[in-house]
Amino acid sequence: MNGRTITHAQLAALVADLVAAGTAVTAPARAADGRLDYRPVTRLEDAVLGDGLPRLSLKALFLPPTEPLFAFRLSGSDVAIDSVPTSFPPHVVLGAVPCDAAGVQALDKVMGWDYRDELWFGRREATTIVSVGCSSRDETCFCGATGGGPTATRGADLLLVPLEGGFAVEIVTSKGEALVTAHEERFGPAPNEADVARSRAALAGSRVEPVAPLAPVTTWLAEHFEDPLWADVALRCHGCGACASVCPTCHCFDIVDEPEGVTHGTRRRNWDTCQAGRFTLHASGHNPRADQHARFRQRLMHKFSIYPARFGELLCTGCGRCSRACPGGMDLPEVLRTIAERAATAGGAA
Amino acid sequence: MQVVIGWEEGPRGVRPAFVTDPASARGLVFDERCTQNLVPYLSPRRTHVARLGRPAVVVKGCDARAVAGLVRETQLKREDVVVIGVRCGGVVADPTSLEALSPATVSDRCPGCTAREPHLADHVVGEMPPPPPAGSRRDARIAELEKMEPAARWAFWQEELGRCVRCHACREACPMCFCERCVADKTQPQWVESSPHPRGNFAWHVTRALHQAGRCIDCGECERACPVDIPLGLLNRKLAQVASEQFGHVPTDDPAVPSPVGAFKKDDPQEFIL
Repeated sequence: MNGRTITHAQLAALVADLVAAGTAVTAPARAADGRLDYRPVTRLEDAVLGDGLPRLSLKALFLPPTEPLFAFRLSGSDVAIDSVPTSFPPHVVLGAVPCDAAGVQALDKVMGWDYRDELWFGRREATTIVSVGCSSRDETCFCGATGGGPTATRGADLLLVPLEGGFAVEIVTSKGEALVTAHEERFGPAPNEADVARSRAALAGSRVEPVAPLAPVTTWLAEHFEDPLWADVALRCHGCGACASVCPTCHCFDIVDEPEGVTHGTRRRNWDTCQAGRFTLHASGHNPRADQHARFRQRLMHKFSIYPARFGELLCTGCGRCSRACPGGMDLPEVLRTIAERAATAGGAA
Repeated sequence: MQVVIGWEEGPRGVRPAFVTDPASARGLVFDERCTQNLVPYLSPRRTHVARLGRPAVVVKGCDARAVAGLVRETQLKREDVVVIGVRCGGVVADPTSLEALSPATVSDRCPGCTAREPHLADHVVGEMPPPPPAGSRRDARIAELEKMEPAARWAFWQEELGRCVRCHACREACPMCFCERCVADKTQPQWVESSPHPRGNFAWHVTRALHQAGRCIDCGECERACPVDIPLGLLNRKLAQVASEQFGHVPTDDPAVPSPVGAFKKDDPQEFIL
C-alpha cells in the first residue's frame, strides 16, 4: 500500500497549518440544530469524521445550490457583461464520505462532456478531497452494489482508515501526494498492513448489500421505457424532489436572470430537478412528462441506464440519502430489487 | 371505490399504500407510526393517483381537516371521496423510527390534540387509544423565539432558512398547497426569486407562511419533507396562533366553517391597517 499514518494530534496540527496558510478546510460538522453538514472548520475538534452522512452531499461544494454565472448591466446603449472568476483558492475537504467522493468523480464526466464547465472544474482543481472510512451504513445504503464500499477511494485524493490513535493514510492521487509532501512533518511512516486490513474489515462488517450488482437493472431499463411497472412503482411519490436535493449525483440546474435594479442584474444557475412537473413544461403548455411516474422513471433511467450508456458508469453511488429523505416512503433499493427480479424472470428479454 | 389510500408496512417503518385489490386490504395498518397525512394524494395535481379511480382515504382526525380544507376551497367534492377515519392517540414524528411513542418521539402537533375523534368520516374504525404524551416542545420553542431580541431571532432564521435549496418539497407534500400554478413558479412577473439565496429564500418562506395562515391544518408534512430540516412548523404554528388570537379561527374538519382569508367580517380586527 502506498501509505502513511497520521495521529489525531498531527491531524489537528495539519488542520491548523492549513487554516494558518489561508487554505479553507471543509468537514462534516454539526449545524446549530445538531445535524451534520459539510461546513467550514478551523479546528479538527469541530469535524465529525467517519460518523454519518452530511445532510447535503459533497456535490454542493462544487455545484452550489445557487451561483452567479455573470453579472450584466446597461452601459450606454450596450450591455456590459462582468464575468465571475473560474479559478478558486485552495480548499481541502476533510472527512468526505466515500460515496460522496465517488459522486463528484462520476459527475466529472458530464461536466466535461460536450462543454467544459469552468466553474465545476475550477473548484475541482482547487480542492483536495480527503475521504474517511465510513462506519455509518444502514439498511438504505448500497454502495457495494455500485462499485463502492466503506473504504472505497474513487473520487478521493487521500483516504483515511481509522487506526488506534489516528489513521492510516492511503495516497490515491498525485494531488493527495502533494498535500502529504507539503506537510511532510505531520505524517508518520507506513502503517502496519495487518492493522489496516483489520480496520477495513471492521468497517465492511458482515453486511449483505440490500441490492445485487446492478448490470441486469441497466439492461432491463434500456428495454422497458414503456412498462406497467412505472404506473405502480411511483404512486407514493409526491414529486417533491427532496431525493434530488440530497443526491450526490443529481446535477440538473435551471438558469435565471435576476434583475437587481433597472440597469443591472445577475444570471444565476440554481439546482433543479426532473421530479418537478415544471421541469419539462413546454411554453405551449404541453408537458411530455405529465405524470409523476414518468418523472420517477426519468430519474431512474438517467441514473441506471442513460448515464451508463453514455459514460460507462452509474449515476448513483448507493448513499441511500434519497430513501431517507423521501416523505412518501419511496425506497430505491426496493425498486431496484423489483426491477432485478423482473430482469431475472424475463431473462432480460423485453 | 377503486383505490383505498392507507398505510402499510414498508422496508423502513410504515408508508402510504394504494390498495386496488380487496385481497390486499389486509396489509393495511394503523398505529402510532402512521404519521403521514395521506390527503395530499387526493390533490388534483396527483394525476398518477387520480388515474386509479374513485378513492377512499384513511385519515386521522388531524388529516380530516385537510379533507375539509380541500372541500372548503372547492378542490374536492365531498361525495367524490370515501373517508375512513381512525381514532388516534398520537403519532411519532418519524414514521421510520423504531422508537415507541413518548414525549421525546411524539410529533409536534399531537400534544393537546382536540381532533383525535375524526368527525368528517364515512366510517370510523378502532377503539379510542389513550391520549398522546403532553407538553408541546414546539410552543415552548415559539415562546423562546418571541422572547429573543429581533437581531437574535433574525440570526436564527438566517441560519435555518440559509439551508433552503428551494426544492419546494414543503409545497409538494402539503395538502393545502394545491395551486396548479404556484406564485413562486411565475416568471412574468417573477414575484418570488427562485434562487436559494437569502433574498429568495426569505421571500419564498414568508410568502408560503402567509398563504397558509388560517389554512394550514398542521399535519407537519412540510417540515417532514424538508431535506434540510428547516423547522417550518414554527412558522406555521405561529401564524395559526395569530389566526386564533385575531380571528378566533382554529383548524377544523367542518368544511362549512370558512378560513379567515376566505371570509370578510365587519368586526374583523383592523389595527394592523396603518
